[in-house]
Amino acid sequence: MPLDLVRLDLRLRRRMLIGTAVGAAAYLFLVVAVYPTFQHDTAFDDMIAANPAAAAAFGITGSITSPEGWLSANMYANFGPLLALMLTIGYGSAAIAGQDGEGLLGLLATLPVPRARIVAAKALTLLVAALVVPVVSYAVCLAGPHFELNPRWGPLLGVSVALTLLAFDLGAIALLVGAISGSRGAALGAASAIAASAYLISSLSPVVDAVHRVRWLSPFLWAVGDGQLTRGVTVAQLGALAGLGAVLVAATVLAFRRFDIQ
Amino acid sequence: MTEPPIVAQHLTKTFGDDLGISDVNLVVEPGEVFGFLGPNGAGKSTTIRCLLGLYRPSRGQARVLGQDPAAGPAAFLADVGYLPGELRLPERLTGAEVLATFRRMRRGHPTAYEDGLVERFGAELGRPVSSLSKGNKQKLGLVLAFMHRPRLLVLDEPTSGLDPLLQDEFASLLRETVADGRTVLLSSHDLDEVQRVVQRVAIIRSGRIVIDDTVAALRASAPRTVELTFDHDVDPRPLASVPGVTLHVTTARHVTLTHTGAAAPVLTAIAPLRPDTITARPADLEELFLRLYGGTAHAS
Repeated sequence: MPLDLVRLDLRLRRRMLIGTAVGAAAYLFLVVAVYPTFQHDTAFDDMIAANPAAAAAFGITGSITSPEGWLSANMYANFGPLLALMLTIGYGSAAIAGQDGEGLLGLLATLPVPRARIVAAKALTLLVAALVVPVVSYAVCLAGPHFELNPRWGPLLGVSVALTLLAFDLGAIALLVGAISGSRGAALGAASAIAASAYLISSLSPVVDAVHRVRWLSPFLWAVGDGQLTRGVTVAQLGALAGLGAVLVAATVLAFRRFDIQ
Repeated sequence: MTEPPIVAQHLTKTFGDDLGISDVNLVVEPGEVFGFLGPNGAGKSTTIRCLLGLYRPSRGQARVLGQDPAAGPAAFLADVGYLPGELRLPERLTGAEVLATFRRMRRGHPTAYEDGLVERFGAELGRPVSSLSKGNKQKLGLVLAFMHRPRLLVLDEPTSGLDPLLQDEFASLLRETVADGRTVLLSSHDLDEVQRVVQRVAIIRSGRIVIDDTVAALRASAPRTVELTFDHDVDPRPLASVPGVTLHVTTARHVTLTHTGAAAPVLTAIAPLRPDTITARPADLEELFLRLYGGTAHAS
């Protein structure tokens, strides 16, 4: 039965998901295709070395002309998470609070489906939404060798999983806030604010001491902000991301059981 | 002895400092159409949401088809058909897709009964919900509520947006439903809709049940209207002293009054005034509503 709810929610957001997938694929293909033009241009690396703070604000650290640095600077450290979070925070805020405000949730909640299973269906849909950008991005990167771009495939796969979990977690924050407040705006606002803060902490931690001390708080750092495209994602980082998601979904179940549905 | 499909005891729901409903007691017996009346904002939808487990009551409890809706397990909802007062369907789906989606979620299969409902109401299945009029969406909502032949139907303003012919069709469907032994809770602010089809009625005002009785008993106690005209000037004040009589429109030659109880004392008081014409209207719940709603029978 939850699969029918998953199917319904995916159907209602089909255009958004497909549009974002196509947009991400087109953008990343361009990034991959122009790599040969920049791979030997050391001026870029010199510029970043001269302006580490400005580069860090865009999530760029280390060499930008290496395959991993190129993908990180142009996709995985900034634009990729942004697109993935747009999908998951958008869905997370719509799934409970949004559908409640529209009046659709009341009709669905009078079907013989326990509330925990409704949340499970929403979480599963959220996971599908979280997969879109990482999967499409990984698929486009597979074309990299045709353009002299040969990243380390294992770490890239790990980052794809981590990015999926990161997007899921921030979408789950929107889901939880929606189940507590019943307000789509509050869910969208809270999750977006937390995402922005987490991004800033992760990206500025290499250059700002005060931020460096609290960098462990940022799920961005766990997923993409700690050189994972080069060194790989650790089991601890994946565990932290997965654990956070599980806690958020469990909290949503508790909140949704107490939620008055319109 | 079979437990009634709906039992509510001291059901109370507050929203912060606002009182939604207070001490609502209801018993809906099997195989009846139970009317739940009240002006908009009186607490009908709040009560229904508590009965369906959408709201957690602040106090009191309910049992619906033998289960406490607030307890969590949603099994009883398999045997409930619900039409919300403000129906919202997935806008991008066609009517056929909406029916298929909800049918699957109820683990049901297409049936001749469902096809019959679609045909009976002329539900539009080929167009997206977003392009349907309010009435056509309501037809889909009625099919959704009835299609799995639930033991209990909870219908909130079910004929909203339907034309008079379909309202008659709906009334026929209700009669067939209760003849089949199933139960209907019909909520409305429209007295005409309710008094055509219900056996018993509860009236809610400002979150509290003010009347819970059979329609026949309400009719018996409802005020009857008598209109008198005279070919000479009269003083109608003696009529006002008859127990149960209320004078409404009075001029020297035209008197309108309502009365409850036996007719004989009223006729005895009228006779000495030698009226030219007497027009008596049958007991009408509308008059009762006018009193209960504080001046508006169709408060909206």
